[in-house]
Amino acid sequence: MARRYDSRTTIFSPEGRLYQIEYAMEAISHAGTVLGILAKDGVVLAAEKKVTGKLLDLSGAKEGGYGGSGEKIFLLNSNVIGGVAGITADANSLVNYARTAAQRHLFSYNEDIPVEQLAQRLCNLKQGYTQFGGLRPFGVSILYAGFDPHYQFQLYHSDPSGNYSGWKATCIGANNGTAQSLLKQDYKDEITVEEAVGLAMKVMSKTMDSTTLGSEKLEFATLTLDATTGEPKAKIYRPAEVDALLEKHGLRKKDEDTEMKS
Amino acid sequence: MSIMSYNGGSVVAMVGKNCVAIASDLRLGSQALTVATDFQKIFPVTDRIFLGLPGLATDVLTLKERFRFRVNMYTIKEEREIEPETFAHLVSSTLYERRFGPYFVEPVIAGLGKDNKPFIAATDLIGCLTLPKDFAVSGTASDKMFGVAEGLWEPDLEPEDLFETISQTLMNAVDRDAYSGWGAIVHVITPDKVITRTLKSRMD
Amino acid sequence: MECSFGLVGKGYTLIASDTNSARSIVKMKNDEDKIKVLTPHLCMAYSGEAGDTVQFAEYVERNLRLHQIRHYTELRPPSSAAWIRRVLADSLRSRKPYQVNLLLGGYDTSDDTPHLYWIDYLGTMAKVPFAAHGYGAYFALSTLDRYHDPTADLEQGLETLKRCIEEVQKRLIVGLPKWNVKIIDQDGVRELEI
Repeated sequence: MARRYDSRTTIFSPEGRLYQIEYAMEAISHAGTVLGILAKDGVVLAAEKKVTGKLLDLSGAKEGGYGGSGEKIFLLNSNVIGGVAGITADANSLVNYARTAAQRHLFSYNEDIPVEQLAQRLCNLKQGYTQFGGLRPFGVSILYAGFDPHYQFQLYHSDPSGNYSGWKATCIGANNGTAQSLLKQDYKDEITVEEAVGLAMKVMSKTMDSTTLGSEKLEFATLTLDATTGEPKAKIYRPAEVDALLEKHGLRKKDEDTEMKS
Repeated sequence: MSIMSYNGGSVVAMVGKNCVAIASDLRLGSQALTVATDFQKIFPVTDRIFLGLPGLATDVLTLKERFRFRVNMYTIKEEREIEPETFAHLVSSTLYERRFGPYFVEPVIAGLGKDNKPFIAATDLIGCLTLPKDFAVSGTASDKMFGVAEGLWEPDLEPEDLFETISQTLMNAVDRDAYSGWGAIVHVITPDKVITRTLKSRMD
Repeated sequence: MECSFGLVGKGYTLIASDTNSARSIVKMKNDEDKIKVLTPHLCMAYSGEAGDTVQFAEYVERNLRLHQIRHYTELRPPSSAAWIRRVLADSLRSRKPYQVNLLLGGYDTSDDTPHLYWIDYLGTMAKVPFAAHGYGAYFALSTLDRYHDPTADLEQGLETLKRCIEEVQKRLIVGLPKWNVKIIDQDGVRELEI
């Protein structure tokens, strides 16, 4: 029965559901976890990498660029970082769209794009694919961590249907239920970035499938305000910095798997 | 009356020893009437490249924003900063795109490349690149600056001497040009820092 | 023979415009409001080609309003100015450019600063402490050079503005008897009597 209604995104099933979107969400719930925490003086993103292995060439991530290995966490604009979960190829296309949209805003208004507007722009695109156009929607959920003068620090989540919402702390991808209940337990208003980093580390260590916790499995980023200029400062951690952070929070797990990174 | 001298303004760039300098005046006019005396014509592209855009002010502003757009996209995709040579070709092709309805601007580029190699370039309004070894001038006082720079510039100037040379070149030329003036701004790009100074010249 | 002035003082921006509406040598109307209130903290004096002026001002007004409705926030003055400039710059290279000169006065409530932008029909924009469009610029800019003080209170600011208007009324061959003055400060836009 269902097959009659799920070959296209544009057709409702008799129960009023859009199967393709539900499948897209299903795809995301198997993807690497991405977790975001909004603190009073910044935002934190942490993500679990799925593409790992001895032979993966990560030499590009060690130096140059803006940090990160480019699988889960991306710089979308100088005031927004994005964490993606889902089909990586779809995500890359959305990241490119977001970057262009942000630059177009800067071009038109001579200001950094407000975080919610960027989320809206991507949601307009995503929604379009549930109604017009291609064969399937984007199989990607995104967390947007950003800053703008209107609402200061913000954290948004958008899903394949084109819905978006603002959060104090949230999680997408595999085990997001577990992570969310952990966050609900431990989150408190007035949390600082420092504490949020610790909380993110703790939750990630509990939700990740693997026994190892190291830079080959984790991506990490923060968005804070630069102390001297007052401008938003995005920091996507390099592998060595992630390891140092894990070490600091006593979460670095040693086993033969972690040796491969060297 | 030429479109190129409707708003007035001049830019000069010079090569030194492991450093480059770029300077401009600060006037914005509407023909003979001065509208603003703090109009920037030189813009940072990266920490080590500056772009000077003398010419029609509306195009100065539009191009500043277009180059910011394209350089930001380059930086975020390539995950590295653009090199001066690459940027010069970006400027050239952006201007040539409008071959038959040009932006009325003649840009000057100054920057340090790999191994702190000095780089300066200038293009005409449709993007024809020239890569001088010594100095590049552009704007309403360009003819006068050619003369002064020819007399003052010498090879391998240290940053402070280069600052003096470029400042004197600009100010002496600009003081004889009704469409440029009202003070100047000078950037000297050295391997470890950029020295930026604003100068007062004849404030009339 | 249209004429407009703007100046920034301590916590406010003043914008003044004459109120004439003329066709060739005939004065058609002498109470035309040529200062449009764009958002609660932004207004725009416009002058130039008849027809283009009102058309352009309303286009800007409606687009800024749409932005406000869509995004639940008003654009800040620098962003509004950048957008308006872009519209003019794009228009310049279209088949029939808008021939409109603008003074944009605003107050940024997010950092409590007054703003004034001088914009011409080419899309040239400058953030300035004082500005003028029209023939008045040739008389009043030197008056403003002498008397303008960015830290002046409203009373002193109005005094300076009056000097400019009097200068124009004294020396310009065309009489501009009535003026429309608006102030933009933290409380928004108000009309003032001078």
